[in-house]
Amino acid sequence: MPRLQGPAALESYREKLKDQLASYELTVTMCAGTACRACSCLPVVEAMSAEIESQGLRDKVHLRLTGCHGFCEQGPLAIIDPAGILYCHVREEDVPGIVARTIRHGEVIDELLYVDPVSGNAVMQESEIPFYKAQDRRLLSNNRRLSPTSITDYIAAGGYSALVKALTELSPEQVIGEIKASGLRGRGGGGYLTARKWEQCRRAPGKQHFVICNADEGDPGAYMDRSLLEGNPHSVLEGMLIGAYAIGADAGYVYVRNEYPLAVSHIREAIEQARELGLLGGEILGTEFCFDVKVARGGGAFVCGESTALMASLEGGVGEPRAKDVHTVARGYLDQPTNLNNVETWANIPQIISNGAAWFAAQGTEQSKGTKIFALTGHVKNTGLVEVAMGTSLQQIIFDIGGGPQDGKKIKAVQTGGPSGGCLPAAEFGLPVDYEALSAAGSMMGSGGMVVMDDSACMVDVARYFLNFLHDESCGKCVPCRLGVDRMLEILTDFTEGRGTMEQLDTLKDLAWTVSVGSLCALGKTSCNPVLSTLRYFEDEYIAHIQERRCPAGVCKALTRYVIDADLCVQCGACYEACPQVAIIDDSHYWIDVELCKGCGLCVEICPSDAISRV
Amino acid sequence: MANMVTITVDGATIQAPEGAIVLEVALEAGICIPNLCHMPGITPIGACRVCIVEVVDGERRTMTASCTLEAKDGMVVEAHSGPVLRARRNIVELLLAEAPNSRAIQDLAARVGVTASRYPMRNGNCVMCGRCVRICDEVWQSKSLGFVGRGGERHVALPFNTRPDLCKRCNSCIEVCPMTITPCPGPMTEPGICSLCESQVTMVENIGDTCVLCELGRGFQCAQWQLRGLLAPT
Repeated sequence: MPRLQGPAALESYREKLKDQLASYELTVTMCAGTACRACSCLPVVEAMSAEIESQGLRDKVHLRLTGCHGFCEQGPLAIIDPAGILYCHVREEDVPGIVARTIRHGEVIDELLYVDPVSGNAVMQESEIPFYKAQDRRLLSNNRRLSPTSITDYIAAGGYSALVKALTELSPEQVIGEIKASGLRGRGGGGYLTARKWEQCRRAPGKQHFVICNADEGDPGAYMDRSLLEGNPHSVLEGMLIGAYAIGADAGYVYVRNEYPLAVSHIREAIEQARELGLLGGEILGTEFCFDVKVARGGGAFVCGESTALMASLEGGVGEPRAKDVHTVARGYLDQPTNLNNVETWANIPQIISNGAAWFAAQGTEQSKGTKIFALTGHVKNTGLVEVAMGTSLQQIIFDIGGGPQDGKKIKAVQTGGPSGGCLPAAEFGLPVDYEALSAAGSMMGSGGMVVMDDSACMVDVARYFLNFLHDESCGKCVPCRLGVDRMLEILTDFTEGRGTMEQLDTLKDLAWTVSVGSLCALGKTSCNPVLSTLRYFEDEYIAHIQERRCPAGVCKALTRYVIDADLCVQCGACYEACPQVAIIDDSHYWIDVELCKGCGLCVEICPSDAISRV
Repeated sequence: MANMVTITVDGATIQAPEGAIVLEVALEAGICIPNLCHMPGITPIGACRVCIVEVVDGERRTMTASCTLEAKDGMVVEAHSGPVLRARRNIVELLLAEAPNSRAIQDLAARVGVTASRYPMRNGNCVMCGRCVRICDEVWQSKSLGFVGRGGERHVALPFNTRPDLCKRCNSCIEVCPMTITPCPGPMTEPGICSLCESQVTMVENIGDTCVLCELGRGFQCAQWQLRGLLAPT
């Protein structure tokens, strides 16, 4: 394919591609995101391809591999369009049936349909599933429609028309004006106004301006950016192109974790394809605008998601943050003005330019506009990627979309914003998700991780877990973060192992404050959030750990004691056999030696008469 | 000639070249901001955070290290406000618990009024101030020392743990190390915490924020001593 010489050439190419796609009668869309690949979707895809070939349906049926749809719980997923029939948990042996019955005769296979765990009804169409119904999938819905490895799909679906609009109809200032009117804020966590950042970068003097896409997503349980980059890399590229045009940059980088191999290969492929068509490189679409993108792979340090550490790493140095009294928009990569935005922010740009700022700003709250993707994980029925309008309440996300608690348990808290975020109790679930509301409640939006916990979680242990993550990921440069987090972890470990004192609790609060004000970068400054938010809402659990030496949720092994109720015991001896510590003593009746007991809980599980309980 | 700007530190109006390091400006003007990792003439890294100050911008107060802060016209800095003193004390307490046997850390603790540590003492030595690493790189162009590892595993080491040929055995790394100052012979009140310098503490407290080139500053290798060329290499 030769380079596209101008907007008209792109339009005629688009028409040609649309006609090609319209020639198919049916489309089988299979999710090939990382989660579905882990559920062995690739053999299913191969079987499907072979079956379509052998049945001689190649000209009628278009098989499309897409990125993540978000409903990872139910993968591998297959959708047959135009009817929109969704099949879940598709296995290789289901393929001949799907081709023979559904593709040939339009018959629905009931066994493969999604069954709503709340109502127990089978649901045929994707759009009727409660998980999808309550969402507003502006970014994610494209993942399902496009093959991430083909630029033709993206162009046929109207891709790069926002770039054309920006290049031909708008001046750089007008592009920034449009983004400003939309109220878009950075999706990486900070929530800084995107337009303001662009404006500052554009105005900053320098030899060369850079734009960078931050895809160094490292929060445990979060994979929004991964899915966007894997599923729709061209939208990120188009966003970067528009941003570069507005800022006056001619070079860009995508900084992506090396642990995301699929994202790395998809964005590389996308860059190659865009270059071939002349959408990247010199004189893009026949205009004077030049821009090219390179991929840089991160070495797996969480701290490299921080802007200055990311740029240090990009320059080839050690990925350590520096003081940010002079911001990266003025002095960033190679000491030149650099604009860094998160994957999701970039992906929003083409939509805003195409549909207008008003369309984007119509969704959301006073200060937080548009939609936001969350990675809903933990103790809920439906886990996966969720895209909702800003201002949707936590209640709606956890119960209407997530389907509520598993196995009739009670949801206790939700952890938002990744390891640097905080835990919010069920009483606060009326909160709308919006930057200010979450911060005021002691948590944060972060990049959008959302871990739901039911009453089997111990909040002291949860705080310790997240702090341990930050302890491992701290770069070690500044004292408050390296030593402060270490000491906080030491105190929390004392609590969970039954050595805590009330004085330590005061020390912990004092120290958490010091770390939050004294640290060099945002990793340190927010590392106190897991501690402070759990202390704010679950102080009684801390006190139970310290004063009563008791873990209310029974998670902290050192604080857990088991007893055998002699009245209920049927003297079967099963626990005696099962105990790996030989802590169960057999004399006239069975009893547990607390000195020997390690609190593994095997005896409780094995007891036929529920005579063993945790106290 | 650099543009001169006016900044305010603890209420004192000071003229300084634009972009000058606020910590050095304050020290030159006689305002004592305790510091540890800073060395005049060497790139500041803001690692020890002892020199934190508050930058006041109307209602907004942000805490940041003064060694990495560049002077801008009209900047208002508070180096001894309540929150700054509290945070500085807590940071020094962390350092003290890490390396209690160091004279420099003991002096620093005395200077900011830390007389006990709430954390169990560890018998560490290096507090990762990076003075040796930076002087080796920037003054001697040798890069014979570097930081290795991340977080709790961070430590100073030679490349591949062997002395490289580039090392000139100049001993600068040892001279600038805050751990190598000969400790005073005084008694220790608690394990590792020196008590001899109480008179010094009183003096610093009475005189307020005026730098009197106190012995404590020589002990913790305060940048003021180095600025005046008074810290004779031993």
